[in-house]
Amino acid sequence: MKVRVLFFGATADLVGNRELTLTCADTGTADDILHLILKDFPQLQDQKLLLSINQEYAYGFESVREGDEMAIFTAVSGG
Amino acid sequence: MDFFELTTDPLDVGEVARRVVPQECGATVTLDGYVRQFTKGRETLHLIYEAYEPMAVKEMQKIIEQAKSQFEIEHVGIMHRLGKLEIGETSVVISVAAPHRKAAFEACEWLIRKLKRTVPIWKKEVYANGEEWIEGDTSPPSLPISGS
Repeated sequence: MKVRVLFFGATADLVGNRELTLTCADTGTADDILHLILKDFPQLQDQKLLLSINQEYAYGFESVREGDEMAIFTAVSGG
Repeated sequence: MDFFELTTDPLDVGEVARRVVPQECGATVTLDGYVRQFTKGRETLHLIYEAYEPMAVKEMQKIIEQAKSQFEIEHVGIMHRLGKLEIGETSVVISVAAPHRKAAFEACEWLIRKLKRTVPIWKKEVYANGEEWIEGDTSPPSLPISGS
């Protein structure tokens, strides 16, 4: 399946990209996707990362489906 | 009328405050958050804000709904600016209208704390000799940190 992965702020700078499309096994969780990303971008390993799936915060155990939008980012700092 | 918006245009604090006022209210508390020049002695030249816009709008709507269920308030307006902001420019405005001021003060403080923890917006501080993305103090409540 294909999953869109988005990066913002610090993670976008570290990855050098704001968005990529990941092709992976048809069943998997948000954590599975994260581990694939961390393998490709080990520079993210030292960060405390937060996840969202389809614009909702995710814990990691959630299933990811074809066409889902996942985002990986550091603790937010608006205001 | 509640509202929650992102914009790259300068924010008009008074306009935000006026938009939330219904007839049953007696007080509006408005937070005007703006760009600080010195943080712990270090000088900031300017800030750059970016957002995960569709999720940020959803999260702003959620915290407004939570605030309205927890406090005796009528309406909330939140506007957050994105892009490059100079020193002193307004980055966020939160206006809370309520029948009585106490609830409006409490809800406004609760909303800004919640916004800083949960709404996916990030700021980059640009200094004379470098720049860095600021990481918030806390993650969203009950959300374990993934990775490692």
